Parts: sequence; C-alpha cells; structure tokens
Amino acid sequence: MYDVLIVGSGHSGGMAAATLTALGVRCLMLNAGPVADLERDRVNKSAHELPYRGFGKPGLHPHIFQANEYNANTWVDENEVPYTHPADASYNWVRVRLLGGRSLFWARQSFRLSDFEFRAADHDGFGENWPIRHNDLAPFYSRVEAQFKVVGRKEGWPQFPDGNFVEGGAGQADSECQQRITAAANKMGIGVSRMRAAMGDGGLASSVNLSLPQAVASGKLDVLPNAVVRQITTDPNTGRANGVIFLDRHTRQERRAKARVVVLAAGTLESTRLLLLSKLANSSGVLGRYLTDQQYGCTVVASMPEARDGKANPKLIGGGLFIPRFRNLRKDEKRNFIRGYALPLNTGSSPDPKYFPEYGEALQKKLASYAGSCVTGGIYGDVLPRYENHVRLNPNQTDAWGIPTLHIEARYGDNERNLCKDAADTMEELYKAAGLEVIVKSDKVNPPGYSIHELGTCRMGADPKKSVLNQWNQSHDVKNLFVVDGSSFATAGWQNPTMTILALSMRASEYLAAELAKGNL
Amino acid sequence: MPIPRRRFVLALGTVSTSPVVFAQGPAPLSAPRIVPVAPDQAAEPVLQFFTPTQFATLRHAASLLQPAYSNLPGAVEAAAPEFLDFLLAVSPAPRQALYRGGLDHLTSQAKLLFKKDFAALTAPEADQILKPLIVPWTFDPPADLHERFLTDLRADLRTATTNSAPYAAAAATTSRRGRGRTGAGLYWLPIDPTRR
Ligand SMILES: Cc1cc2nc3c(=O)[nH]c(=O)nc-3n(C[C@H](O)[C@H](O)[C@H](O)COP(=O)(O)OP(=O)(O)OC[C@H]3O[C@@H](n4cnc5c(N)ncnc54)[C@H](O)[C@@H]3O)c2cc1C
Repeated sequence: MYDVLIVGSGHSGGMAAATLTALGVRCLMLNAGPVADLERDRVNKSAHELPYRGFGKPGLHPHIFQANEYNANTWVDENEVPYTHPADASYNWVRVRLLGGRSLFWARQSFRLSDFEFRAADHDGFGENWPIRHNDLAPFYSRVEAQFKVVGRKEGWPQFPDGNFVEGGAGQADSECQQRITAAANKMGIGVSRMRAAMGDGGLASSVNLSLPQAVASGKLDVLPNAVVRQITTDPNTGRANGVIFLDRHTRQERRAKARVVVLAAGTLESTRLLLLSKLANSSGVLGRYLTDQQYGCTVVASMPEARDGKANPKLIGGGLFIPRFRNLRKDEKRNFIRGYALPLNTGSSPDPKYFPEYGEALQKKLASYAGSCVTGGIYGDVLPRYENHVRLNPNQTDAWGIPTLHIEARYGDNERNLCKDAADTMEELYKAAGLEVIVKSDKVNPPGYSIHELGTCRMGADPKKSVLNQWNQSHDVKNLFVVDGSSFATAGWQNPTMTILALSMRASEYLAAELAKGNL
Repeated sequence: MPIPRRRFVLALGTVSTSPVVFAQGPAPLSAPRIVPVAPDQAAEPVLQFFTPTQFATLRHAASLLQPAYSNLPGAVEAAAPEFLDFLLAVSPAPRQALYRGGLDHLTSQAKLLFKKDFAALTAPEADQILKPLIVPWTFDPPADLHERFLTDLRADLRTATTNSAPYAAAAATTSRRGRGRTGAGLYWLPIDPTRR
C-alpha cells in the first residue's frame, strides 16, 4: 500500500510528488493521459506540409482559442471529455491530459499574490479573505522561484511582491518607446516594471523536467499513465479516504488503488469534478462554487510614427513593459469597480492586418509601412469570486469512460466590465501622452476560461461552513484528503496563478508529510 | 522481471515454430528512405464544395483582396481558393452557410450594379462592391453577415497564402524585411491516441 495517491501530474501534482518523496513518503501518481516523448513526438514542419495548411481541422477544438494545427493533438478532445455551459454563457475550458498536463505549454509568466489578494475582503469588504497571508507563503514562493529560475526586476511595491529572482532578467537598455511610455505612466502616478518569468531549463519549466525527475530518482514514486480516476473511495466506518477507482484509458478495465492519503491535483475543475462524483468534502455546500479566473482581452494597439517606413530599430522601439495593479490600492479610492488589473505591454511588433479596413495592395503597403512600429496592450483583470459562478455534474452526459461530465456556468458582471473600460481608457491616455497613434481600442474581453487560469470551486478558508479546504489545502471534512491545485483559491487576483499553485502545493505537502509522520492522518 | 502474459504466450509460439529465430532475435529491417512527393506538387485538387459560379467569384475576389506583392505570390498563385474549397467542404454548417451566402451576395450585387458576374468585373467595378463591406475592426465580428464574410475571407485568404508552399519558396529567396510571416513550427504528432 502507498502512503499517498496523487491524482494528476501537472505543476501541482509534480510539486506534491517532489516534496513528498523528498521527505520519504511513498507515492503513486495516477494520470489520465499518456506520456509524451518530447524528442519523438514533435517535428519541425512548415504550415504547407500540414493537412489543413495551419488552419487545423475545422470544428475540432471549438473552445480553445489557443489551438492551432501544430498543437491540435495535445489538447483534451471535447468529443471525448465533453462539458456543457448555458447557451448565453460560453466557457473556454482548456485542458491537457499528457503526463505533465498544462505545465508543458504554459507561458511561464510568474507572479506572487500580495496581501491585496490574500486579505482582499479586509481591503474592500467583498467576499472572504484567504486563511493565509503573503508572509505564510513567502518562504515557499522563494524556493519555487529558485527551482523554476524566475527572472524579474525588484521594485519594492506592496502590490507586486518581489521574488527570489535569479540573474538574467536585465536585458538591453530601454528603447526610446519604452522610456516614453514609462515617463507618461509615471506622470499619471502609475509604476512601470518588467515581466517576471520562469526560465526553467532550456525554455521548459514543466513538472516533467523540474519536479518529476527528482521524485522518480528517489525511488519513492511510481507513475501510472492512462489511469482515468473516476472516484475517491472511503472507509465506511471512518469516512476517511482510502484510495481511488480508475479506468484504463484504452481497455476501460477498472482498478482500485489504495493509500493512506489522497491528494487531488487534477487541475482546478477536474479535482472538483472528482469530489462531486465521490460525494465528498461538501458539508459547507460551497463545493463547485466561487469559480473565478482572470479576464483577458481589452485590446489597445498603437503605432510610433517615428518608427514607421523601415525606421524601426532597437534603440527606437522594442522590448516589453509590465504595469502591475495600480487601481484601488488606497481604501478611499472611489471607482465604479473594486480590485484591479495589470497591463502587459509589448513594443516593436507589426500590426495584425485585421486592424486596417483595407485590402489588396493598399493593405500590403500599409502593413509594410507600420511593420515594427506597433505597441500592443491587453489586460490581466481580476474577476470577483461569486457564488453563482459554479460547476455541477451533468445528470445526462458522460465522457468516453462513462463518467458524468461538468456543467460550467460563469458570467462576468459589472465589476469586470467597468474594470475593463477603465483599462482601455487608461491605455489610450497613456499611449497618447507618449506620442503614439492609437490604431484600435476595445474594452471587450474574451469569455470566462480564456486565460486558462480557472480558479476556485474548492476554496480554502478559516470557516468550515464557508469553505471546502483549510489553510493547508486539507479537506475540512475528510482529514486525509488534500486538494493542491488552483481550485483552492479564495480570490483570483490579476496575477497568473501558477507560482501560487506551486507554492501552495509545496507547503501543503510538507504539512501532509509531517502529519503523516506524527500518525495524524 | 516476469514476462508479461501476452509476450510470454507469443514467445512460446515462436519457440515451437522457429526456435532458431527465437534464439537469435529477428534480423533488423532496413530499407532506403523514400521521400514522398507533396500532393500539391503531384496533382491538382478536385473542387468539391463551391458551385462553378461561387468558385469563380471566390477566385476573382482572392485576386483583388490578396494580390501578389513584392515578389511574393498572391492568393491565386498560392492556390488559396482551391484550398478554401476543400477547407469549407469539411467545415461546420454555419461557416459553410456564411461562405456560400457571402459569395452569392457578391454575385447578386455584381448583377444588380453591372449586369454581369462578379468574376467578370474590372477591379474598379469590384471595388464598389467590396469596399463598403470591409469595415473597421471591432472585437466582436461584424453583425452584418456579408461584412462578416468579407472580414473572414480576407483573413482566410491571407493565411492560406502565407502558409502555402509557393509562398514559403518565394519568401526563402526574399530579403528578411520583405519576407512577411510564413507558417512554420513544431508540430505535435498524435500521442498514443485512444483506441475506440
Ligand atoms: C498555453 C498556456 C499558457 C499558460 N501560461 C501561463 C503563465 O504564463 N503563467 C501562469 O501562471 N499560468 C499559465 N498557464 C496556466 C498553467 O499552465 C496552469 O495554472 C497550471 O499548469 C495548472 O497546473 P495543475 O497541475 O493544477 O493542472 P494541469 O496542468 O491541468 O494538470 C492536471 C493533470 O491532472 C490529470 N487529470 C485530470 N483529470 C484526471 C482524472 N480524472 N484522473 C487522472 N488524472 C487526471 C491530467 O491528465 C493533467 O495532467 C498557462 C496555460 C496554458 C495552457
């Protein structure tokens, strides 16, 4: 019998496995999909060599905006694992079942949450605080940042906690365009920083190269691919979890795996789906509730006139800027929205042809003239965790293994819309003050789920009546059941979540190992 | 390590029929590598989706929307209309309806304004129909179906052109600045797909 079963092999499962096995805990990892061979399974191809010239098979991934013909074989096929949403509330659920999950594909943008997120309710009165503060997680963030080799520029701003950055963040001197935008922003009282990103090894910062190898090398981890878990089993006498039932992905043969502790790391909504299927951990009634994420979109594109007609050069234009949250940092700030957003900006790109209402040679000339002169911006916007945004089981739909699927119901509200309008207006003002010509401006955002940062539905909290997990990612109801992915988030924040998921998984796993050693689980 | 049951049974079968082969293992197979020809190089596609009139309209629109430019082939030279005929044939019904309706609209406008097929229009004549349909960008696609069709057609023609073999060949011989974007990347093969 194993000490711990880990369901899922992405960032959260990989970190749990590495942390637990380093402490001598014997683990079995079950993963729904196969193992990819990164050398054999990927080949360089020109688009014209692909069957659909890069368009991809029409209708294959209707909800995955990020899908193209190159990566089409990596996403979960919706025909195999479908889900539903209301007709008027589309939801983009982007999943990967390969060993390593989405950690094989993430863009590696790496931020910490601050106490503006952990103590959000104290700040603006909406929702619930997390049961932890930044200080509780800071040592774990630091270890994760070192392991993932995160680069960034230290600022000392409370809403943008600095990390344990490795060398290598400093690039070349700022281009004139970067300087002009920074000066304009500073005049508006807005601080401008740089992107923070995990370098990993050779551009890959995945569980398959950063956490799983050391866990396997310890001799304490068995990895079982193609194991589709459908239920967590419990001891009828104690109510404690005692294992899982899974199906072989190919043969559908059912098996039972047993352990003293179960750790769910199946990626936010899949972990919640498993708890709903198992009818566990829901004495609060909030399991599946408070689904949140970050809103992406809000496009404002400008061009630097001096950089047009072939004059773009690295001194004049190029390089990224990152504006972390600057709204509602003071409690007395009065706006028509609470919380905030970040603005990732990029300078020196060429415009998307769709932005010009022209065609033929006129369009070609315009594109040639504007090449390299553009500044693009979007938002990473906070989304309020609301009770009504939720997932539940579909009574009448099952996946390819006969397992009931999820119904996902999530809508953005006035707070999100007002926040986006503010972001679009601010970007426009900023560009104009920097002497740029605005080409297009939109305050519209993509549907929920688009950011691939789905969070909540199994939130942690101090009060077992209002939350599913305690501050250690441990079920309030079933003490030997832990959920270590993004479903534990109480608020989303504007920050990409993976650093926080990793730090929480590491912290929870150390607690778990200690409790196991004390005989408390 | 114990031999898994299936391999064990196979091994037994091999022993009884051909003990020598079993003892030495099968000889490694080798054959010269044959580089296959691309279908586009070897044969032309059979049109399967658009009517002859719709296809003629599409081809003419393609020549105007995405012409050859700066030594790089345009949509017609890149056989983008032929490719779109195939792509639309395998597309979901709403997209098929958008394309068919959009092309028919161009034909009916040409008949109304100039009493001839769209394919027979001069460039200035065709501009009078196309220009009003190319609208400024908005985040959501245009509500008007004809405007939406032309927005999509313009983008699809561009992708089908820049992702074509003739474009890649021409881009390889053009200076970096004039090259434009050609499609290339790391392609993920199917990985142990589910056996249904
Ligand atoms: C293109 C892309 C870009 C991104 N960019 C960023 C970024 O820049 N910064 C950032 O912070 N985040 C980013 N993300 C999000 C980030 O990848 C996720 O937050 C993170 O990887 C989630 O890890 P996870 O372990 O919780 O879930 P996952 O990676 O989804 O792993 C879940 C695993 O569980 C397994 N599983 C699911 N159901 C079952 C079951 N029933 N039985 C057995 N196994 C199961 C799956 O096979 C999968 O391997 C990005 C994501 C994508 C796809």
